[in-house]
Amino acid sequence: MDIFLAIFTYFAYIFIVVMYSFKAAEYLRLPTHLRWELYPVIYETGHKYGGSRYETLNWWLEERKRHPFRGFFFLLKEYLHLGEYFHRNRSYWLFLYPWHVGFMLIILFHTLCFFGALFTVSGITISDRSPDSIGIALHCTTLISGFVSFVAGAFGSAGLLVKRLSDPNLRAYATPLNYISYVFTLAVFLSGLCSWALADPTLEEYRRFWAGLMTLNYTKVMPLTAAHIIIFNLFLVFLPFTRSFHYITRFFGYFLIRWEDTPNLRGSKLEEKIERMLNQRITWSAPHIKAGQTWKEAASNRT
Amino acid sequence: MKIGDISKECGQLVTIQPSDLMPLPYPYDKVEKDRAMSALTADQKAQYEGSLDGVVGVGIPKPATKAEEEALVGKFLSGLTKLFEKENNWTFLQPVYHSLEYCVKCQICSDSCPAYVASGRKEIYRPTFRPEVLRRIIDKYVKKKNRVLLKLTGSDIELNWALVSRLAELAYRCTLCRKCAQVCPLGIDNGLISREIRKIFSQEMGIAPKELHEQGSIRQLEIGSSTGVNPKALANIIKFMEDDIEERIGRRIKIPVDKHGADLLLLHNAGEFMSWPENTEAFAVIFDAAGIDWTLSTEIAGYDAVNYGVWYDDVQLARISTRQAEVARGLGVKKINVGECGHAHKAMVVVADRVLTGDLNIPRESALPILRDIVVNNKVRLDPSRNNFPVTLHDPCNIVRLMGIVEPQREILRKICPQFREMEPHGVDNYCCGGGSGFAIMQSMNFPDWRSAVSGRMKLKQILDVFQDVITPETRKYVCAPCSNCKGQIRDLFNYYSVWDECGILYGGLAELIVNAMVDVKKPFIEWEWR
Repeated sequence: MDIFLAIFTYFAYIFIVVMYSFKAAEYLRLPTHLRWELYPVIYETGHKYGGSRYETLNWWLEERKRHPFRGFFFLLKEYLHLGEYFHRNRSYWLFLYPWHVGFMLIILFHTLCFFGALFTVSGITISDRSPDSIGIALHCTTLISGFVSFVAGAFGSAGLLVKRLSDPNLRAYATPLNYISYVFTLAVFLSGLCSWALADPTLEEYRRFWAGLMTLNYTKVMPLTAAHIIIFNLFLVFLPFTRSFHYITRFFGYFLIRWEDTPNLRGSKLEEKIERMLNQRITWSAPHIKAGQTWKEAASNRT
Repeated sequence: MKIGDISKECGQLVTIQPSDLMPLPYPYDKVEKDRAMSALTADQKAQYEGSLDGVVGVGIPKPATKAEEEALVGKFLSGLTKLFEKENNWTFLQPVYHSLEYCVKCQICSDSCPAYVASGRKEIYRPTFRPEVLRRIIDKYVKKKNRVLLKLTGSDIELNWALVSRLAELAYRCTLCRKCAQVCPLGIDNGLISREIRKIFSQEMGIAPKELHEQGSIRQLEIGSSTGVNPKALANIIKFMEDDIEERIGRRIKIPVDKHGADLLLLHNAGEFMSWPENTEAFAVIFDAAGIDWTLSTEIAGYDAVNYGVWYDDVQLARISTRQAEVARGLGVKKINVGECGHAHKAMVVVADRVLTGDLNIPRESALPILRDIVVNNKVRLDPSRNNFPVTLHDPCNIVRLMGIVEPQREILRKICPQFREMEPHGVDNYCCGGGSGFAIMQSMNFPDWRSAVSGRMKLKQILDVFQDVITPETRKYVCAPCSNCKGQIRDLFNYYSVWDECGILYGGLAELIVNAMVDVKKPFIEWEWR
């Protein structure tokens, strides 16, 4: 069991990293597209009201000012608040927000577990009575993040399940996979809560398990803790098959599409890329398109 | 209704009754004021596919045989496959992939869609409906997921001619205003999906509304303009404009034509020459007074800013923008300025930016900043008291939300219209006029009724709301719409509801208001009469 748990944990983490990397690469390999931005574009000086450089006479003579961090902080704020949902669908936000808080904190919780284990291996005691302040801090933050994550996540999962079932606007578009996801996340958070409340109130055992993963010295854990580890690992394997990657693609979507307003300047690298795209052959077969021509040839023809 | 119902071979899927529609403010607050949309005649029903909502916009003739239907379904599927090929759809592959793969169907976008809300929330018009249909077809027929996965992802949908023909019409029930995309926290663009569906029909199947294709982009490339105006006719129109300007302002202006080396080539939507010549004349008066070095072109496609390709076909989009840039290159102008036409702004200045390379990449800009420069920097003498009537501004989606030109037109109006007032919401949060993405020019069968009663309803509500304190016809009011297609839609919308008679609201462009305020123009330039 000990070795099984360890191998399964290694596998689950490697699996999700590989799958998400594959998905990210698949997305980022897609070609440069025509501009399709939507205002406000966060880099623009007039972004507060949605203004753009096109408000300026002879805009191409102006230096292009970009504020890349503004976009990053905007999205970070959205992650932490889910503001659009708060403003537009408060009852949905009531469950969606704790659900997301559950996810964010469970990531933080595992990160803290990892560092807790790392410090333990390095000889630092992680507890509320640790002689090292870092030990006390890690103990407290791990406990708080774990507890809040489990409670908020469980509340959000159950709430969203009920909301999807009861709201006709959502139900019509919900799939069995959506409901499975909610039940799955509910199981993840509830199992964590049970493990903490009934088996491992200081999370000492969980940290030992992590330390074992690092030192290849696998330790035995109680059944409730083992159940949580298995469910969480299964969840990690399940995640890449859902739309969960929107956590990351949201960044891509904003930076590469919605705010992507890079002008095509003569002699630029972008122009080179566009030239390559325009030299690709098309096979659309409507009567007004001659299949086999390049985009450039097609654009030069009038029929 | 369920999403899979779109495949049902059951006659008309949805019916729209006046009582279903979103209520309007006074004086249209009684349902009786809403006339029922005209139904298709028996002949039209027999001839054309109209089983979505009893409205025909695209006008697909009914296939004569089952084999013909199957061939069309096969074509649709091959087009759908090409949508995901880099060679065939590099133009929008990443955006379409993002929107189809990562929508979580939270429906937060639904209430931002004016057509969905105004229709009384008919499911088929919900912004997520079309993408969901497409997603299910892709899962089953392109990705060929197994039966268990199809059940799990709810993708079991039947692809048949009923679905394909309804989807063609449904792609033309979205104005591509992209307000749904603006509110999506994940950056999903359901408006784009409507456009991608249109592309499948146009680029693979040769199916598009005739007003956009045969009589639109094809005609523009062949004879010069989608209006049918050829270079010879244009010369006559310009002569007429010079005569008309002389009559209106008391002095003759020579409109510069094909002037080599001019600072700017002004591209108007040619619809202005035909329907609203006062707009093109106003530009001539302003530019002349301000001493701008400008020219019009009489070359094919060089005098019509429109680019309908931006609504339905990437190849046509590329052809028209290339042709327009070639004209500018031939004239040796320093830049291209786009007049009051929203989609031409977006197509020419923004979207075509990644089509035009080398010496075709000529600087392009909106005419609004130059108008702002003239007005705000007092390059013409203006008397705002001449515009002392209630004025509101309609924000064309393509100029504002899709391009970020928000303030120049407002700075002008604040300076020359003492009673300027904003409708709500406005700026980048505006609502579409209801005629976006080609609707304003689509006159097929009962489609104009639909765009007045449904897609334009939210705009009518906004206009009535902003003028509620002066709503009676005795007070003349002005909706400033700096876009030809928006003006076309507002004209039809106001006609449908007799808005001039009931409320005394006129619509028009921005340049006309500037000339109306010019001290050197003795007579009022705006004629308060219904067009």
